Amino acid sequence: MPWYYWIALIALAVCLAGFAWHFLRLVRLGKPKDHSRPAGKPAAGIVYSFTAGMNPVNKESAFLHLPTYTAGVIFHIASFVSLLVFILFLFGIQPQPVLSNVLAFIAAAGAVSGLAMLIKRIADKKLRILSSPDDYFSNAIVSLFQALTALVLVTGQYVPAWMLVSALLLLYMPVGKLKHAIYFFAARYHLGLFYGWRNVWPPPKA
Amino acid sequence: MEKPTREQIQAGLEVLRNLQDSKLITHLNSCVHCGLCAESCLYYLTTRDGSLIPANKVEMVSSIYRRYCTLTGKVMPKLVNARKLDEVTITEMVDKLYGACTMCARCVRHCSIGVDIEYVVRTGREMLARMGYVPESLQATVDAALETGNNMAIPDEDFLDTIEWMEEEMQDELEDPEAKIPINKEKSDVLYTLNPREPKFFPLSISAMAKIFHVAGENWTLSTRMYDVTNYAYFTGNPEHGKVIAGRMLEEVKRVGANKLVLAECGHGARASRWEGPNYAGEAYPDTVTSVEQIAAYLRDGRIKTDPSLTPERVTLHDPCNLVRGGGIMKEQRYIMQHVASDFAEMTPHGMDNFCCGGGGGQLAMSEYNERRIQIAEIKAEQIRKTGAGIVVTPCHNCVDQLSQINHTYRLNVQIKTIAEVVADALVTE
Repeated sequence: MPWYYWIALIALAVCLAGFAWHFLRLVRLGKPKDHSRPAGKPAAGIVYSFTAGMNPVNKESAFLHLPTYTAGVIFHIASFVSLLVFILFLFGIQPQPVLSNVLAFIAAAGAVSGLAMLIKRIADKKLRILSSPDDYFSNAIVSLFQALTALVLVTGQYVPAWMLVSALLLLYMPVGKLKHAIYFFAARYHLGLFYGWRNVWPPPKA
Repeated sequence: MEKPTREQIQAGLEVLRNLQDSKLITHLNSCVHCGLCAESCLYYLTTRDGSLIPANKVEMVSSIYRRYCTLTGKVMPKLVNARKLDEVTITEMVDKLYGACTMCARCVRHCSIGVDIEYVVRTGREMLARMGYVPESLQATVDAALETGNNMAIPDEDFLDTIEWMEEEMQDELEDPEAKIPINKEKSDVLYTLNPREPKFFPLSISAMAKIFHVAGENWTLSTRMYDVTNYAYFTGNPEHGKVIAGRMLEEVKRVGANKLVLAECGHGARASRWEGPNYAGEAYPDTVTSVEQIAAYLRDGRIKTDPSLTPERVTLHDPCNLVRGGGIMKEQRYIMQHVASDFAEMTPHGMDNFCCGGGGGQLAMSEYNERRIQIAEIKAEQIRKTGAGIVVTPCHNCVDQLSQINHTYRLNVQIKTIAEVVADALVTE
């Protein structure tokens, strides 16, 4: 196995260990103890939180910002696809040409979306106030990873560069803002638990 | 601002270090700085000040967390904007977390991730409270409650005079000398609480609720020992003070022996007692409901009857944030409206998406932020104006206060009433 595969493999192991640490910490700390009497069903609240509670029709962050929201969705789908392709490559599995082109298209669309969001972050004053180097770097490294994934899938070249960028991304994931990959699910869980307990979620039918 | 001492800094950081569960670190690690919460916040919508968007309030707290509690923040603070907790940060925290957030949680509902922004703001307030940086005006409200038993420091004698006066008013109105406002009555089924604004400024709401209880044939009482439904320690962020106030309420319910605690029309009071109170006190309260739920139950059970034609004017409803988004009570007030208003118009948006009146989060108690509070109320004023209503009903005395000021400033020319008042107006007594 070439040296850059080894680097990527080690980075993947470090990344998984980092995420395992975050996950186990969340599990160990557990959920809050609530002494109030529940008015609703916490389990139903959690289900709602992960389903209809994320429906873009109900969220101003989605329907008032459709271009950004759409770019975000594409960006995230492309991230998962690119990671999948990367892991397959790492273990010597390469997709068939037709599938490869589809995956390349998705990854490329993600890279374009990522670039667009990066430009927005630089251009929008209120986002500049909010942003740290972590935000710019995270956006850029994921977009570059997606772009290289597409390039590798189409040309079959640039694998060393792709593996090194992937390694950098994987090493950074558990320590920068990209760790929201795990905290996102915890946030939805806690929100569902909280609102489910109080009978806020699921909302009453009109 | 004076430079904080080492002890103050440590006291503030202890809030972030002393984790009770996974909720705090979850929400401090989740915000992705997308900024899409901006348009859900009335502070940003009315000022267009990018520093006031909800994500920036989360960032105030999470940046300190990163600086002191994460490896990246300790090693490379500039990379992840990990901030030191110093006088500059504290000054900004006070302004943003106390002075520029009503804790309405509208942003939480619309957050693309699901960050409980209000919870993070409250955590930031707790840090400031432990360091001794609560705005004086807000702390004075808590101090009054701790020292006198009610947040307006109303002496017992004045309170009893007001109750006696309202009892006479009710007796005259009902032409029934047996109609009473019971005080400290033992073996009552219901212990009813008040917002101290009622005896102080809006006593007619007491007689309105008393009239409803009387017509419903309820076995109820008020207590002179503890009638204050509010707990402003929820807004200052001081859990010790919250515990004292919540503990008093629990103790009084037990002493009276009531099997139900009915909470006055007060959004934050309902939240502080129904949901936060048991957690402050460390044990469950007995059956606790809001007066909105109680009145709706009376109507449903046929214990009171109303005539909507007695209220011919168009009526609209303002949903208090803590009652709706923070407490899940949305249908009951609308059920009541069906029974008391012949011409009812909803605001747009309403219910879970309703905008805060601008007086929440302790804003009404903090005179230093008055100008900002009135400015952000522009959204609510426009919502009301568009309904064409002559009466605005809200089950919250805090909202009544803020809406009254909006009414004056934005020349809305409407009447502001509580639910009990409109129900009492429409009550059929024979």
